[in-house]
Parts: sequence; C-alpha cells; structure tokens
Amino acid sequence: MTTRAYAADTRSGQALLSVRDLSVVFQRHGEQPFAAVDGVSFEVRPGQTVGLVGESGSGKSVTSLAIMGLLPARGNRVTGVADFDGTDLLKLSSGDMRDRRGKDLGMIFQDPLSSLNPVVPIGVQVTEVLERHKGMSRKAAMPKAREMLDKVGIPDPDRRLKDYPHQLSGGMRQRALIAMALACEPRVLIADEPTTALDVTIQAQILQLLGDLVRDSGTALIMITHDLGVVAGLCDEVNVMYGGRIVERGLRHDLFAAPRHPYTHGLLGSIPRLDGQRGEPLIPIPGSVADNLPWDHACAFAPRCFQPIDVCRSQTPGFVEDGASALRCHNPVGSPHGHTAQPDHAEVNDQ
Amino acid sequence: MTAAAEQTHAQPGDVLVDVQGIKVHFPIKKGVIFDKTIGYVYAVDGVDLQIRRGETYGLVGESGCGKSTLGRAILNLEPPTEGKVVFDGTDIASLRGEELRRKRQHMQMVFQDPLSSLDPRQSVESLLLEGMKAHGLVKDTKAANARLRELLKAVGLPAASLQKYPHEFSGGQRQRIGIARALAVDPQLIVADEPVSALDVSVQAQVINLLEDLQDRFGLTYLVVAHDLAVVRHISDRVGVMYLGALVEEAAADDLYAAPMHPYTRALMSAVPVPDPVVEDRRERILLNGDLPSPANPPKGCRFHTRCPWRQPTQCDTDRPALRVVSIDGVPETHRVACHFAEGIASGELQPHKVEAEVVDPHLGESDAHGSLIGPATTVEVTDTP
Ligand SMILES: Nc1ncnc2c1ncn2[C@@H]1O[C@H](COP(=O)(O)OP(=O)(O)O)[C@@H](O)[C@H]1O
Ligand SMILES: Nc1ncnc2c1ncn2[C@@H]1O[C@H](COP(=O)(O)OP(=O)(O)O)[C@@H](O)[C@H]1O
Ligand code: SF4
Ligand code: SF4
Ligand SMILES: [Mg+2]
Ligand SMILES: [Mg+2]
Repeated sequence: MTTRAYAADTRSGQALLSVRDLSVVFQRHGEQPFAAVDGVSFEVRPGQTVGLVGESGSGKSVTSLAIMGLLPARGNRVTGVADFDGTDLLKLSSGDMRDRRGKDLGMIFQDPLSSLNPVVPIGVQVTEVLERHKGMSRKAAMPKAREMLDKVGIPDPDRRLKDYPHQLSGGMRQRALIAMALACEPRVLIADEPTTALDVTIQAQILQLLGDLVRDSGTALIMITHDLGVVAGLCDEVNVMYGGRIVERGLRHDLFAAPRHPYTHGLLGSIPRLDGQRGEPLIPIPGSVADNLPWDHACAFAPRCFQPIDVCRSQTPGFVEDGASALRCHNPVGSPHGHTAQPDHAEVNDQ
Repeated sequence: MTAAAEQTHAQPGDVLVDVQGIKVHFPIKKGVIFDKTIGYVYAVDGVDLQIRRGETYGLVGESGCGKSTLGRAILNLEPPTEGKVVFDGTDIASLRGEELRRKRQHMQMVFQDPLSSLDPRQSVESLLLEGMKAHGLVKDTKAANARLRELLKAVGLPAASLQKYPHEFSGGQRQRIGIARALAVDPQLIVADEPVSALDVSVQAQVINLLEDLQDRFGLTYLVVAHDLAVVRHISDRVGVMYLGALVEEAAADDLYAAPMHPYTRALMSAVPVPDPVVEDRRERILLNGDLPSPANPPKGCRFHTRCPWRQPTQCDTDRPALRVVSIDGVPETHRVACHFAEGIASGELQPHKVEAEVVDPHLGESDAHGSLIGPATTVEVTDTP
C-alpha cells in the first residue's frame, strides 16, 4: 500500500516559470474578439506542483498552449510575460521555442494518441526526442529510451519499444507520452488533464508516477485538471480559474479548508464525496457558464453567485495577492458582507 | 437517500427487475467474403441481480467492464446470449408486438451524452411528443400541451424551451431534456447510463439532485450505471461492482463504503480521489499495476487474479468464484462478494503481496498474438512508501 508523499515546503526559492498578466484574445473573421485567457499570473518553482483547476472552457488549456507556444499562428493575440529562468517565452521565435519544448519544457496532453505518431514505434519516437534535443546518436538513445519506459513503469520495455501506439492501452500510452516528455529532463512539465481519459485505478498509477518524478527530479509541474480531488492529492498550490481568469489561489490545505471565493466554495459543495454523508443533498451552483457576464464591468460569476453585492454587477473585482494566496472577489466567503449561510438567493434557477 | 427509498431499503419492496444469469457475448468477425467468427467479446458473462421497486441500484466499474451492455440487455435493447430478464413478473424476451411495446413504455433510458442521443433536427416539443405518441399517450392537443408543460417544470426548464432545438441548450439543460423525454411516457424504471459523466461538476450536482427529486415524486426505480464510485455511492441505495463482465461485490451503498471486501472494490475505492487534502494525505492506496485484461480473453478462474494483490496459490487461477454471502460477524446477508478468500482478507489473516505487471494489448482479436492464452499476466504491485 502506498500513501502519496508530497514535496515539503516548496514555497521558498526562485520561481522557475513566472507567468504574468497573460492574455489570449481570439479574433475570428467577422466575430467579436474573445478573451479566452485574461490577465492570468502565477509562478512555479523547481520541485513544486501548481494546479490550474476549473470547469471546461475556463481557459486552462489555452493558458498552457500559450506558454508552450502551441496556439495556432493566426487568429489570436497573446500578451503578457512567461518568464522562464530569465527568458520571456512569449518573445521567442517559433524555432527557438521548438528547441525549448522537449528540452526545457515538456507537455503531456489528455489524449496521448493525438500526441503520438500512430505509424512510428514508441521506441523510435522517444529516441527521436533524444536525438533532436540532446544530440544523441540513435545508438546511444535506444538504451536511454528503454530506461525511460522502464522508469515510467512500462513492463517489458524491450518489447514495448517496438510497439506502435495503438498496441498499448490508454494507461500505457499515457506512460509512453510521459516517458517522451521526460526523456530530456525538462525543468517544467505541463500536464493538461493527463488522467481525465483514464480509469480511476490507472489514474492513481499515473498520479503516483507524476508525484514521484517531481519529488525525485525537482521538475516543476503545472497540473491542469477539472478534478478537485486530483488537485487535493497532488498540488502544493492551487489556482482556480473561472471565465478565463484566476479567481482564487491558495496553498492546498488552506484553499480546501477555507475557500474564500464563492465559486471555489460552490464547487466543493457540489461534488459528491466518496467519504461524504450519503443522504445529504449536494449544493449545486445554479446556472451554467452560459450565464456569465463579461468581466469588463462586472464579476463574470455574479449571475451564479450565492452572495453577490451591488458592486459585483458594475465593477470588475481586482486580483488581490497576499503572500501565497490571491483572490478576485468583491465579497469573499466569510467577509463582513458575506453570508455564511447556505446559498439561497442566486438569481438563476438550476438549469 | 430519499425517505421513500430509505424505507424501501429497510423493508425491501417487491422485485421489479429480476436479472437471471444474463450473458451477452459479441462475436468478433474476420474475413472479407465470409464473416468468420474468430472469437467473442464476453461483455457480460453471467450476471444475476434484482432491482426492487423504488430503489436506486448503482452499477459501477471501469470502462469496458460491461456496464452499458448489461443496462441495455436489461432493457432488451441487446439480445442476451443466455439468461433472462423478468420485468414486473414477465420475461421480456417472451413478449412480442403490442405487449412488448407496452412493457417497453415502463422502461426508459437516459444516456451519457444528451446531444448524441437527441435528434438535432427535432424541437424539444417534438422530441418529447415522440415517445408519448408511440405509446398512444397523446389523446388531444390540450392535454398533451399541459403534459409537456408539466414535464418541463418537473425537470426545471422554462416552458419556452419547447420550440427550441437541442444545440441551443447547455450540457446540463440537454440532460434535463433527455430526462424529460424518459419521463414523458410515465415509466417505472429508468436506466441512466453515465447520466452526469459529460457534465461539469457544478452542473453534475444539479442533475443528481433532479434525479433524486424525480424519484421521490414519481416513485421511480433507477438503475444508474457509472464509472464514478463517488457519484454512484451518493445516489444509490445498493451498489453492484462489476469487473470484466461480472459482479464481484454487491451491497447496500453504506455497507460497501464502510467495509469493501472484494480486492478489486478495495483498489477501486482507494483510487477515487477525495477533494480534501487532509484525507488525501493519509490515505492508503492499493495501486493495481498493469491494465485491465481484454474481455475477449478473460482470465480463467477468478477474473481478477491477474491483478489481485491477495491472489492465493490455489483456487484463484482455476475456480471462478460466485457471488456469495460471507461468514463474517456484522456483515449482513445483503453484502455479497465473489472472492474465495473474502473472510481471510477481511480478517487481515491474508496480506497483500507484490507482483509484477505486464502490458495488455488493447486489441481484442490480437490479444493472443503475444502468446499468452489466459490473458496477460497483469499483476499488482503493492509498494510501500513511508
Ligand atoms: N483555437 C481557438 N479559437 C477560438 N476559441 C478557442 C480556441 N481554443 C479555445 N478556445 C476557447 O477558449 C476558451 C477556453 O478554452 P480552454 O482553454 O480549452 O478551456 P479549458 O479550461 O476547458 O481547457 C473556450 O471558450 C474555448 O472555446
Ligand atoms: N456492439 C458491440 N459489439 C462488440 N463489442 C462490444 C459491443 N458493445 C460493447 N462491446 C464491448 O463489450 C465490452 C463491454 O462494453 P460496455 O458494456 O460498453 O462497457 P462499459 O459500459 O462498462 O464501459 C467492451 O469490451 C466493448 O468494447
Ligand atoms: S461576491 Fe461578487 S465578486 Fe465575489 S464571486 Fe460573487 S459576484 Fe463575484
Ligand atoms: S478469488 Fe483470489 S484472485 Fe480473486 S479476488 Fe479473491 S483472492 Fe483475489
Ligand atoms: Mg482543456
Ligand atoms: Mg458504458
């Protein structure tokens, strides 16, 4: 049996990747510009796991793609800074960025099949990464590739090197992708919903693997997920996103023990917990993201919030940082105006 | 869960659905000119279960274990290879024509992805009327209109929704339409296959609450099929855990959570993340190494033996354990387990051990191409990290 181990105090030390005021505006021909990511700032240190959590469409993937330089070349405008060890990644040419990816920055996606080449054996795909980024010869790269597959827990790596992606199960494919992402020992790893497509027992394996890697290699991990359970187990620090903005940040224990943003609070109340009291009804957040207000002159969450005040519909709440925590809310849970009672007067009906 | 359901649980209602020895095997065909059957996917391979009137029975297990196929077989949407389903006293396979149609009315289904199960060209009104017409429930326009409004109200949608089309709704609203459509014909049983899996968590809770509320109001019986154990435990009175086409454990939801006995249930339960760092930090995880064996090539004996941390040298590899009542103090008769060694495992007399993992080829027909006949020797690693 295992109990997951966690990195100790990772708050100290320099940020390795510092994202400041990142915005991504999509502009399709003849359509209104749309800010999918809007003024997002966060940092990650070596050996630290930082979570980006939020529901679908909240801007998590676009944030990571922007940092990695993987957004489509046209139709969007990226502003802000992604400072990686002194270099602004957002200013690099696409060629320089390609060099960084794989070498300094690794990425794992939800669907490993779409990021693996279906007609090339796994072994060749891993060695290619090593050849390109580490300048290794094919001959030298092969044993290293084997070692990587072994390290990520793929049994019988010699045989698996020759397999094509479709010959592996989803869990094994995800391991192969992790092996590829880690082959060059990246200093920052972005994992975008790496376990969402996997069964829960396989998810447990992969999370354990990621946790071990961070602890052993000091990689900085940005964990993107919609699952607060995954965050609770893995992340040192958590950023909650809503409508393209970070609305709350906190250290893992603080955020879960006392969520201050009504959205975070609402999310926690709406999840059925395995260890929860059965028979206690869930407290859903009313409405859906379709009810959001534009952030420009309001809080986007106001129509779904259980304790809005007047100013919520006329002013954008600012992003207030305070040490390890940060909050974007006019009327946080537990504040003087705040209701501590259960949500009772949200304006949208459940739909 | 609900007052009515609690009562059902305390004094079991009559059996509405009696599933007897159901098997659903899908042939694997190969060949260009002649379709030669080269094997079978043993999707459901011998399941007995009873669903009582008014209760929620939750079926949980990982993808590919046969949950959906079993759900469909119970509704007679998938002809069983063997076994029968007795619904409200009648063997549904024996019914034909009008009789079958009338029984069908009482058994409805709600799907995971509301969009793919709703015809995009049909307005909500026409979607809802369709089933009602098919079952001759539309007498006159006025009554039908009143009924439509009542349905929308019941699922929390505005009356104006009737003239709209599925794509104009959010995921949660679409699921409400799917539920309204099932309700339209006034069913007794609703089989809900992953009803909230495609929804964001904040919206999941709305739909879960709605399902519970409707059950109370209309005295519905539910079979909820889902891969998420936390969801299943929350809404179900009783839970059946499936692994490779068969039930490995069945118990009242609270009993299962309090004392999971089958090694697979234990592993599954220990793997479900809990959104609470305090709990996560001190949780023990039983990590299963390796993949699920292919249902085209299920392991002999206990189907879980290739991954079981408690596997014993005798019986496990050779004898298929049946679901049985265990002789352990305090464990009710309603809590049944398909494991030869449930008693020894529960008492701690048998301890988990560490074994080696192997990869499973996901391609059904090819799984023996790698030379292993009893399926892959996927085994379990039980690690100790301080
Ligand atoms: N290439 C694109 N063009 C236009 N809009 C996009 C594009 N990619 C994402 N979006 C939009 O940006 C928003 C954020 O998307 P995303 O970052 O993928 O969300 P998530 O938090 O689910 O990962 C969504 O509304 C999405 O529709
Ligand atoms: N119509 C079909 N033909 C062949 N195989 C099928 C068919 N439907 C399901 N299967 C297979 O049966 C097994 C069980 O599937 P399913 O019942 O969908 O599982 P679950 O719902 O638990 O994920 C899987 O291996 C699946 O690929
Ligand atoms: S209190 Fe106001 S600012 Fe805070 S989440 Fe609610 S609506 Fe937004
Ligand atoms: S019968 Fe044997 S292999 Fe199967 S679950 Fe029990 S101990 Fe494990
Ligand atoms: Mg995404
Ligand atoms: Mg299914």
